[in-house]
Amino acid sequence: MPTGTEPGGRPPALAPAQHAAPRKAAASFAGLVLAAALAGLPMQPASAAPRAAAEQFAQAAVAAGDNASQPFAVIDKTAARLYLFDHAGRMTASTPVLLGLARGDDSVPGIGTRPMADIRAEERTTPAGRFNAEPGTNTSGEDITWVDYDAAISMHRVRATNKSEQRLQRLASATASDNRISYGCINVPEAFYDRHVKPMFSRRGRAVYVLPEVASLDARFPFLRTTGN
Amino acid sequence: MTLSRLSTLLASGALVAAGVAFAQGNPPTTAPPNPATGAGQQSPAGGPMGTTGTTPQNTQSGSTMSSQPSTGSTGSSSMNTPAPSSDSTSMAANDPRPARADRN
Repeated sequence: MPTGTEPGGRPPALAPAQHAAPRKAAASFAGLVLAAALAGLPMQPASAAPRAAAEQFAQAAVAAGDNASQPFAVIDKTAARLYLFDHAGRMTASTPVLLGLARGDDSVPGIGTRPMADIRAEERTTPAGRFNAEPGTNTSGEDITWVDYDAAISMHRVRATNKSEQRLQRLASATASDNRISYGCINVPEAFYDRHVKPMFSRRGRAVYVLPEVASLDARFPFLRTTGN
Repeated sequence: MTLSRLSTLLASGALVAAGVAFAQGNPPTTAPPNPATGAGQQSPAGGPMGTTGTTPQNTQSGSTMSSQPSTGSTGSSSMNTPAPSSDSTSMAANDPRPARADRN
């Protein structure tokens, strides 16, 4: 299974395991991540547990016919990871992603029409639920994948335009907790987006399941009640 | 040939020449003066045609009509005003959504 964890050929991405030699940049974010690892603090790897949970969820979706025999995606917000599945629920690829800064499973009403500068930190959530993705374009002319058009939530290539956010470093780190930085959108490594996400969602109607982090799974995905998962 | 016959011929020629000149100055148009009579059956409201024999209704007056697209709606599709929705399966065409700013 291709894992596609590379951050898309972006040169500044810091790989903590390869960054033991201290330098000035190490004092920044990547250095802190490495220091935490060396200190034995709990790190959240791309472990088998979130993957198994995603696979179990995918099997339930397929068993319920909720994916309409189409490939689909599952986003585990807690693990900050995107999993792609084929029509039969077999995992085809996965990658770490960046998500909304705030913890929560709902979008504030009307947030899709508000300027970014007016969105408060606690409103920067990535909503959970089942969404029908569709290809689209943002106002910058970039091709993206709409997840929730009304709430202006999309999957797109990671944007490193704001250096202070250190998005590339966050993607490259082994921790999931630092992957919460966006205003709600799902930032995907560039190479992974072009290789997997864009082809999968080049047509409409394929599902993106965003697993909740506050609400229960049953509350967001009624088909789980019928399948007994 | 008499003089009167010659003048008649000249007058006829002048009339033909004048007609040709007028026709050249007024090119034909394909647009009928009344579009309704030239375009067949049309909706009085200018919208899409619904069921034959029905007239468009006020979408605000019926409580059963929704502005949200619904796959289970029994109303005429010509009366719905589709609103942006995350349920893209109900959208008729594969037209892309208008570009808009995302949440980065």
